[in-house]
Amino acid sequence: MSAISFPEPVLAAEAEEHAQPRGARRWYRQPALATGLILLGIIVIAAAAAPLLTPYDPIKQNLGASLLGPSAQHWLGTDQTGRDTFARLLYGLRTDLRIAFIAVLLPFCIGTVLGSIAGYFGGWVDSVLMRLVDIVVAFPFYVLIIALVFVLGPGQRSIYIAITLVGWVSYARIIRGEILVAKRQDYVLAARAGGLSAIRIIGRHLLPNVITQAIVYAMSDIVQDILAIVTLGYFGLGVPPPTPDLGSMINDGQNFLTTHWQLTTFPGLAVVVVGLSLSLIGDGFADLIRPGQL
Amino acid sequence: MKFRMSTAKTLITAGALVVLAGCGSGGSGGASGPAATGGPVHGGNLVFAAVQDAQSMNNTTVFDNNSIWIFEQIFQPLYTVTDNGKGVKPWLATSYTMSTDKKTYTFKLRPGVKFSNGKPMTSADVRFSIDQNRKATQGWAYLDSAISSVDAPDPSTVVIHLKFPWAPLLADLSIFANGIVPNNYGGQTEAQFYQHPIGTGPFKWDYWHKGQALKLVRNTFYWQKGLPYLNSITWTDVANDNTRELQLKGGQAQIDQTPAWSTVSSLKSTAGVVMHLFNSTQTNYLAFNELRKPFQDVHVRRAISLAIDRNALVKAVLFGNGKPANSLFPPQVPFYQASTPGLQLNIAQAKAEMAKSSVPHGFTTTILVPAGNSDYVTIATILQSELKPLGIKLNITQLDPNVVNKDEQSLKYDMVLTLWTMDIPDPDELATFAVDPKSGARSFFTNYDNPTVVKDTHLAERTTDPAARQTLYNIVQAGAANDAFMAFLYYSPYPYATTTNVHGFFVTPLGNMHMENVWLSK
Amino acid sequence: MGRMTFVVRRLLMLVPVAIGVTIVVFFMIHLIPGDPAQTILGIHATPKAIAILHRQWGLNRPLVSQYWLFMDRLVHGNLGLSLYYGTSAASLILSRLPATLWLIAYAAVLAVAVSVPLAMIAATRKDAVRDHVVRAVPLLGLGMPPFWVGILLVYALAIHVHAFPVSGYGTGFGGHLHAMFLPALTVAIALAPVVIRSLRASMLNVLGAEYITTARSKGVPGPRLFLRHVLRNAVIPAVTVLGINIGFLIGGTVIIENVFAIPGIGQLMINSIFQRDFPVVQGVTLVFGVLVVLVNLLADLSYAALDPRVRFDR
Repeated sequence: MSAISFPEPVLAAEAEEHAQPRGARRWYRQPALATGLILLGIIVIAAAAAPLLTPYDPIKQNLGASLLGPSAQHWLGTDQTGRDTFARLLYGLRTDLRIAFIAVLLPFCIGTVLGSIAGYFGGWVDSVLMRLVDIVVAFPFYVLIIALVFVLGPGQRSIYIAITLVGWVSYARIIRGEILVAKRQDYVLAARAGGLSAIRIIGRHLLPNVITQAIVYAMSDIVQDILAIVTLGYFGLGVPPPTPDLGSMINDGQNFLTTHWQLTTFPGLAVVVVGLSLSLIGDGFADLIRPGQL
Repeated sequence: MKFRMSTAKTLITAGALVVLAGCGSGGSGGASGPAATGGPVHGGNLVFAAVQDAQSMNNTTVFDNNSIWIFEQIFQPLYTVTDNGKGVKPWLATSYTMSTDKKTYTFKLRPGVKFSNGKPMTSADVRFSIDQNRKATQGWAYLDSAISSVDAPDPSTVVIHLKFPWAPLLADLSIFANGIVPNNYGGQTEAQFYQHPIGTGPFKWDYWHKGQALKLVRNTFYWQKGLPYLNSITWTDVANDNTRELQLKGGQAQIDQTPAWSTVSSLKSTAGVVMHLFNSTQTNYLAFNELRKPFQDVHVRRAISLAIDRNALVKAVLFGNGKPANSLFPPQVPFYQASTPGLQLNIAQAKAEMAKSSVPHGFTTTILVPAGNSDYVTIATILQSELKPLGIKLNITQLDPNVVNKDEQSLKYDMVLTLWTMDIPDPDELATFAVDPKSGARSFFTNYDNPTVVKDTHLAERTTDPAARQTLYNIVQAGAANDAFMAFLYYSPYPYATTTNVHGFFVTPLGNMHMENVWLSK
Repeated sequence: MGRMTFVVRRLLMLVPVAIGVTIVVFFMIHLIPGDPAQTILGIHATPKAIAILHRQWGLNRPLVSQYWLFMDRLVHGNLGLSLYYGTSAASLILSRLPATLWLIAYAAVLAVAVSVPLAMIAATRKDAVRDHVVRAVPLLGLGMPPFWVGILLVYALAIHVHAFPVSGYGTGFGGHLHAMFLPALTVAIALAPVVIRSLRASMLNVLGAEYITTARSKGVPGPRLFLRHVLRNAVIPAVTVLGINIGFLIGGTVIIENVFAIPGIGQLMINSIFQRDFPVVQGVTLVFGVLVVLVNLLADLSYAALDPRVRFDR
């Protein structure tokens, strides 16, 4: 998503900073990357193994046992309709992680393709595509997502479509910028002179070299997607009930902040930890791969 | 007031909103709040944190509660609703006489009433005001449809001629839409007038910064001696439930409109805060669309109604601050019949009804819920699990409130959650709306049609004898309950939280507030 | 290309973008199911009553001719009347704009104020523990739902410690400064990680530059060196980052305005979408769009001011 972006000079500066021999760096030597991967690993395993970690069904109501405090039976207590908060948290992570990872794929692909085309061919194709990018960028991001989910009706399908329509822009910009630089390199010029087709040059020679930037960005993009999904939940436009989702959990728990603080605090913390782990991975990954490019 | 729409703000608030009605421990008869040390004092500005901004001050065309509750402080009707919500008392009129054919009413106006610009109110103003409302075909004119003409024989007398005997006349006259404005809008156009409205009420216009705040100040010409107490009232637009509560606790606001039900019990024990639950006329329903299969089958509707545990709903949604509903009418409405056999929880009977129905093995259907209304989402998820034993698979469809309202009103739904609050202290408006398929609302948008019920509803309008009306309304209530054209869910009170220095704040079951009685202790 | 030509060209590019924005928003809002007449009429929305309002608002015409009318009005500086309030959409937007601008500017200033010292701490000892801490901890801010942070901040700083008002906009300069601190801080928390990252990178860049080495070897004292040379040259890229993220900033204010009851245009926009108040939605989007493009232009210019080597040929 077009949430946070860096000007190219800054990225270049960061890259210069890390211009060291590749062999000196392994992922486990990167404290950021290692921490991020371990954190995310724990979260993903916890979400995947949810049925093993909790005996409770996240949507099974028990109106006789609503709003219980944390206890040995219910580690994080129960919500308004007596559902186990811990179970909902685990299953909610499942829902949100799944949606966020899937939601990143389409914009990634579309943005990469359009960005390559714009960067490689230049000219009017580039102008038209970049004006389109300007238009999308000129919209406030959350407003656009909210409006789109409105048009399409709440639900996962709408979330995918809305995020795709907004999110491709950043990938297109990144890839275009990278291609602009890379296409002037000798081996590309040679390939061109050798009469290779544009598709082949882009696919075989350019993309493998520039795609890493997009992958790095995708990490922070997933964080933004999760926040977007959670925010949609806050506006009641998220994942339809009774499917557990962290955004609706935070929202439903809001009114209990003074009496049952755990209802909104733990889902919030879960989002923070997921966000942190992905950001660390993105940062560390960036450090890891950039030297190889220069 | 009215069948409150799921508003846009509901969605933004993302919290409990549109929920208010009949029980609770509200103050009685005008005063509330802990015993004050000493009597009322004058002065002060009160900040009223409202859920939503007003829309317009035009009392004859606006249906929005947040506008109504504000302009009721500016415009006053001839009669006003009593504190118990079941009758009317003289307000700008002092008395009336009725002709023997029950078609002519003669009203005496209260002497000494002045508009906030100092000009005295006369019968010409009254005639103009009621005539304006009768012309408001895009508004509340339908409530005055029994009136054939209004005369002003002398400055303090108004005569209203009816087309036929009409039992709810005084109740209809007590609505804000029949509030008194200056004759000919004081020489302005209608649009100009409502930008800076003038009335006889306790407060007069100051400013309105749309989406932020609307301020009224004391009307120095107000007719009730010594009132109002407050110098001014500022309504602020605070959509978020949490923010309103925090403003109250932080002293930025003195009244928090509709705190979330989940916070009611903690607000009750919060120092410096008084939690009020005023008796209301709000009733929440589950409506079935009889244009869609299988809801034209009375057994299906009865089975669903019998499968709903209303006590559980009251506990989970209202946190115990309400009562299960047994009738189309709420208890605060005249002619409510407490023994109406609204179908209550009985699983065995529910299964028996299903067995008799056209879909004995169950079916799949959807319930339409406005996105962002967490109370409705809770109800829907509870219904989902309660209908499962009947073999009914209930899918929840969340849509933007505007679309939900539109789909409901064009009967494009299977089941929908809906509610009603009274505008007048008479059941006629609700009864016609809810059970007459030929009314604009097509039986509360369900297409329900029971000829006996429809006939008795209209008979009751023209029956002035209370006992005879009661008999008719008993038949209407029992018929509607047995047909289960809607499942009556619960009655809830109006929740309002105030700071402890607010005194005399009271809300009638119809939602009217007499802000002239409110005062702030130091 | 000269600077003036560049500015003029960029301003001209604003036109197709603005037209694109109006087309997208116009058709999107009109294609959303729902109806402004429904908002106004409530349960009294009979087909006849709806038709009367539609005629009054011109909504009965074909969409393309409605768009044409909208553009025609727009060229004459008229955004039309709000369907909900019946008053001028432009005046509604103008009365709400200052609060949003305040929030954005305040948040940006706070973000920079927090980021500069942190980035300095990190950049002066690259790869030391403190560098890693400064780089990792603000990342928390990237993953926090802003509305959640806002609520927690209010509880901590407005309810428990009565340091700030719970919500609102305040009156006068000091009032705004006081009342808007928590909302601005909430936005700044999400923004700071980005600013810290670019500041740190550009500081490292400057520190490695020859003239710094020269200055150092000449014995210019550390603090003075930092203020005179490093900071001055490193802050502008950070401001540029803010400029580039203006769209994100504006989007974020929509939620913050809701949580803190700030009467800004973000709230107005959301409400208007819910009410289907077409003219207001169109107007606000246009304002947002123009704002984003202009701020991006300023960011480019400020970057060019920093580095004369930048060529204006994007």
